[in-house]
Amino acid sequence: MREHAEMEAEIDKLDLENIMACPDCDLLLQQVGVARGQKAVCPRCGHMLYSSKKDSVDKTLALSLSGLILYLPANFMPLMTLDTLGLEKSASIYDGVTSLYQHNYFFVAVMVVLTSLVFPLIKLSLLFVVSLALKLQFFPRGLAQFMRYYHHLDEWGMLEVYMVGILVTIVKMNHIAHIQYDAGLLCFIGLLWAALGSSVVLDEHLFWRLIEQKKT
Amino acid sequence: MAKISDFLTAREAGLALCHDCHKLIPWQKGHGQGSSICPRCGADVHIRKPNSLNRTWALVITAAILAVPANILPIMQVDFLGSAEYSTIMDGIIYFFEEGSYGIGIIILTASVLVPSFKIIGIVLILLSIHNQWKSWLRHKALLFRVIEFIGRWSMLDIFVIALLQVLVNFGYLTSIESAPAATYFTGVVLTTMFAAITFDPRLLWDA
Repeated sequence: MREHAEMEAEIDKLDLENIMACPDCDLLLQQVGVARGQKAVCPRCGHMLYSSKKDSVDKTLALSLSGLILYLPANFMPLMTLDTLGLEKSASIYDGVTSLYQHNYFFVAVMVVLTSLVFPLIKLSLLFVVSLALKLQFFPRGLAQFMRYYHHLDEWGMLEVYMVGILVTIVKMNHIAHIQYDAGLLCFIGLLWAALGSSVVLDEHLFWRLIEQKKT
Repeated sequence: MAKISDFLTAREAGLALCHDCHKLIPWQKGHGQGSSICPRCGADVHIRKPNSLNRTWALVITAAILAVPANILPIMQVDFLGSAEYSTIMDGIIYFFEEGSYGIGIIILTASVLVPSFKIIGIVLILLSIHNQWKSWLRHKALLFRVIEFIGRWSMLDIFVIALLQVLVNFGYLTSIESAPAATYFTGVVLTTMFAAITFDPRLLWDA
């Protein structure tokens, strides 16, 4: 008991800046610096803790801006046009949502619109705002909130899944009709690269450190 | 001077980890199930996710129940010259294999059948192992959970395919494709399993 009380009294002396806990197994760990391209992994459970990324702020800013520019054409211009027996039909991402809605599949329509339109847009906007603020050294009060929202929305943007869905559709339709690929598909591929890329080059560890340092 | 090696976990050391920004915050031992606010990001901080086991059980059981209509009811309706043909998820997969598109068949089989069942069974296994205090294969179970978290969203693949087909193959009386009731239940399965992975606190595995 006495030893425990002594330990508790000395908790303040632990340098909270240099230790961290594994989010998956709660193990207390000493923070070590990682060189570029390396990553730190929890020794007990194997969870990847953090990795060091070069020029994270600049790259995130560039990729999120590219994604935002491509967003409208990617989602609203037709992806492809099906030509069978002289009849033509085009589809865009947005058309998919309205079609589900018109057929009264409201729950499915809401899920699709959220995961393919709303959440990717919010994620890109949040990353853009945060990386722009960090780049310009401008620290509005909401910055931490934005990072938190991004963190929560991370797995809910499903553009890559949609891309594979497009590929499956192409394979399925290839022998039934003639497929003409439209500009929207190119823009969508670009959007996918930008969105995926921006989440890969993002160094959350660095961003949080920068936000915390400049907040005061 | 207290050394890091004196404490095994953050909880034992009287520290709580913020879910969002991963900052360590001093935690009073008597605080129990209460919550604090993270000074860095403003999020609610808990020593462990509140009510994690109950919520995860509820969600995974709901997912298992929804999986029944999702697989039995048809997910797609193909109209050809006036006669409608309904196909379930399995029918779609069999169609691809019969047509010779084995690659696509395997992708759909994986995304629509294997992934959801893998998630449900995996989460149930992990939950049972916590309740019964099975201590073996801990690292593998931790890896299992990370895999479950990662693959969750890929089950939406079938839904996106149907959404696209519904728009593209719409030639009126001649031929048209429409979604069918299973789509709603299947989307429900994806949603509940994703939430189950969010409510589950993997640290409970290691709280021996």
